[in-house]
Amino acid sequence: MQLKPKQTPSIRQALTVAACTLLSAPAVRAQGTWELDSSLLFYSEQDRVRAIEPVVRLKKQISEDEHFALQFVADSLTGASPSGAVPTTTPQTFTSPSGNSTYNTPANEIPLDPSFHDTRGAISFDWGRPLSRESRVVYQGHVSKEFDYLSTGVGATLSWDFNQRNTTLAAGASIGYDQVNPVGGAPVGLAPMPTFPTVKATSGDSDTKQLADLLLGVTQIISRTTLMQLNYTYGKESGYLTDPYKLVSVVDAGGNPVETLYEKRPDTRARNALYWRTLSAFGKDRLDFSYRYYWDDWGLRAHTADLRYRFEFGGGHYLEPQLRYSLQSQAADFYRPFLRQGESPQYASADYRLSEMTTSTIGLKYGVATRRDGEFAVRVGYMLQTGEDHPANAPGQLANQDLFPDTKALLFQVNYSLKF
Amino acid sequence: MRRLMLTIGVLACALSGCAFDRVQPWERDVLARKSMQLDAYPLDSFLDDHVYFSKEGAHGGRGVGGGGCGCN
Amino acid sequence: MTELRVERVADYWVARFQAMASPCEVLVDTDDPTVARRVGAIAYSEALRVERKFSRYRADGVVAQINAANGATVEVDEETAALLNYADACYRMSDGRFDVTSGILRRVWRFDGSARVPESQAVQALMPLIGWGRVSWQNPRLTLLPGMEIDLGGIGKEYAVDRAVGLIRAESPASVLVNFGGDLVSSGARRDGRAWQIGIENPAQLANANASRGGFELTRGAAATSGDTRRYLLKDGQRYPHILDARTGWPVEGAPKSITVLAPTCIEAGTLATLAMLQGVQAESFLDTQGVKYWCLR
Repeated sequence: MQLKPKQTPSIRQALTVAACTLLSAPAVRAQGTWELDSSLLFYSEQDRVRAIEPVVRLKKQISEDEHFALQFVADSLTGASPSGAVPTTTPQTFTSPSGNSTYNTPANEIPLDPSFHDTRGAISFDWGRPLSRESRVVYQGHVSKEFDYLSTGVGATLSWDFNQRNTTLAAGASIGYDQVNPVGGAPVGLAPMPTFPTVKATSGDSDTKQLADLLLGVTQIISRTTLMQLNYTYGKESGYLTDPYKLVSVVDAGGNPVETLYEKRPDTRARNALYWRTLSAFGKDRLDFSYRYYWDDWGLRAHTADLRYRFEFGGGHYLEPQLRYSLQSQAADFYRPFLRQGESPQYASADYRLSEMTTSTIGLKYGVATRRDGEFAVRVGYMLQTGEDHPANAPGQLANQDLFPDTKALLFQVNYSLKF
Repeated sequence: MRRLMLTIGVLACALSGCAFDRVQPWERDVLARKSMQLDAYPLDSFLDDHVYFSKEGAHGGRGVGGGGCGCN
Repeated sequence: MTELRVERVADYWVARFQAMASPCEVLVDTDDPTVARRVGAIAYSEALRVERKFSRYRADGVVAQINAANGATVEVDEETAALLNYADACYRMSDGRFDVTSGILRRVWRFDGSARVPESQAVQALMPLIGWGRVSWQNPRLTLLPGMEIDLGGIGKEYAVDRAVGLIRAESPASVLVNFGGDLVSSGARRDGRAWQIGIENPAQLANANASRGGFELTRGAAATSGDTRRYLLKDGQRYPHILDARTGWPVEGAPKSITVLAPTCIEAGTLATLAMLQGVQAESFLDTQGVKYWCLR
């Protein structure tokens, strides 16, 4: 039989460590914690786009206030998207973006581009570290690739705590560089779509876009149960901002399309947003409300409100109804659902996203805490977009067409997170 | 510009700590909850931003460097 | 509402107040009464804060909130989490003798000098509600079984002393001795380089030879005492000291009347003293192996 060497009780040393941990307030989190967040989103529009988007975010907590996170996204889209052309009483034939085929739109139906499918892969990082006791910086960057689009960007956000950490000021900046390689080349803006098999006139195989964002923000603790955040963001985009696949119909006095043009947008855009958010606890429950006012030099204006209320049921279960309402109260100056014969505007786009419209979303999230500080959650949502079905100035047959068919989409999302 | 001035006004107000009682570190039990963190669910925010970025003309506000796709 | 008083004693000032059911004092090595008042106020407000937050008698406190949860999960703040982590470490180090869930034993044990030793069934009836091992503690979520309670009284006073000294150090360079009901910390040497002189109750009864009799000097460090010579039960000639083993619900046999331990922080000193008491007749040998300075009163 082997005798164990007699161990000297090291209770005193263990106590010193425990006391040191206790008294070095605030309590130090165990170092080297990994966090995994994952989500899978299913997005499905009635008769149109469907998408599956898995996201995985892996975060390493290097110390109490330093972390590094990597995020991977895959995004797979199929289905058809409105091309911007108007419906008419007779079937229409369009040339696909590649120029290699045609597609038909039945009479009295909004033209959809059926060749809409895409796969995207993206990787991004964020790295946050303290600069001093009261300040820290988060660096971020991303690369995203689709078969016809490459997006890259880097940025940094600095923040300072004041007023015994009751107030935090933030300032951030980012730059981005995107490259678009449209199928069949970038069409010349406002040039007519040729009849198959003639090939469209292009301005080149690819084009680029530069982006810069600035942020100024303040987060204020209002009380033991409420905090507020206010951000102002300014974004500048320049370069090729046109959507190479979107079209604009030219109609005659009877409202019948005589020609289809490729859309054209200005080559700069200055965006502004004021974003206000408040989180407030009511007992164990929590209210999350945000409002954003958006305006840009294209003339677009939007009010967006988002309300979420989390009911805690104990044992880590919660239910969170969500409501979102967005009103684009003013369309872009060059938004034209159709052009009239003889008009020659400098820019024109019939992209419904630049029009006056509303987007309403109702959703519900259920979450439950799992072991190891993890969480499992499901979210369901229904989104409805409505706009001007019958613009007052629509001539002839167009007056009888629904120029803004509602977009209805179902969203289903599963989340799973854990710490290890 | 007027809106920017308003923002700066709110910043200055917050800096001076006006109107709000300071919440001390030991009173932050509620604020320490996960549900009270601004970035408690980064993937929810990311996916929401992505969906609305591709379905609306307006975007941004939460931070810098959003988007990153040619999504239509 | 009690109050804070300062008065001059010899070559220093002392601030006195009542908190945590104990007389408290802060000795401030200064000639300036303003400094004494300011330093005293820091200690006073920290003592009140810790008491308010962690006393089980305060309905608005964290402990009361945890004890009222009746089996539901409670999410606690960082400071409470740190204390629970400490309690968890003590539980494991003492093999379950030290247990913050054992406070409910006070329902049957009243150490008032009488002979009212509880029936063993009465103690046994409480045992299913005692045991940190039955608690789910996943920082920051704590779940007790219905009926269970926690009591941080065993570490709260020492914690408050350490906290108060930390706050005073950040505010004033003056040497101070903070004393909350016999648990004390000195922040450093006095102006003339001397240490604070600490007296000990009943020095004649000190049992161990390891320590000097009559008192000791404290330059930078802490002292805490476990056991109370006035709180015990006496039945059939047997003395039951005010120190209960959480594993049995009964007083530890052969425990000293009181133990005072020196350590770098008050909470370490207090915990070592308590852990030694829980060793009963082996209290002194336990402390000898830990290599700490102590006074044992038997």
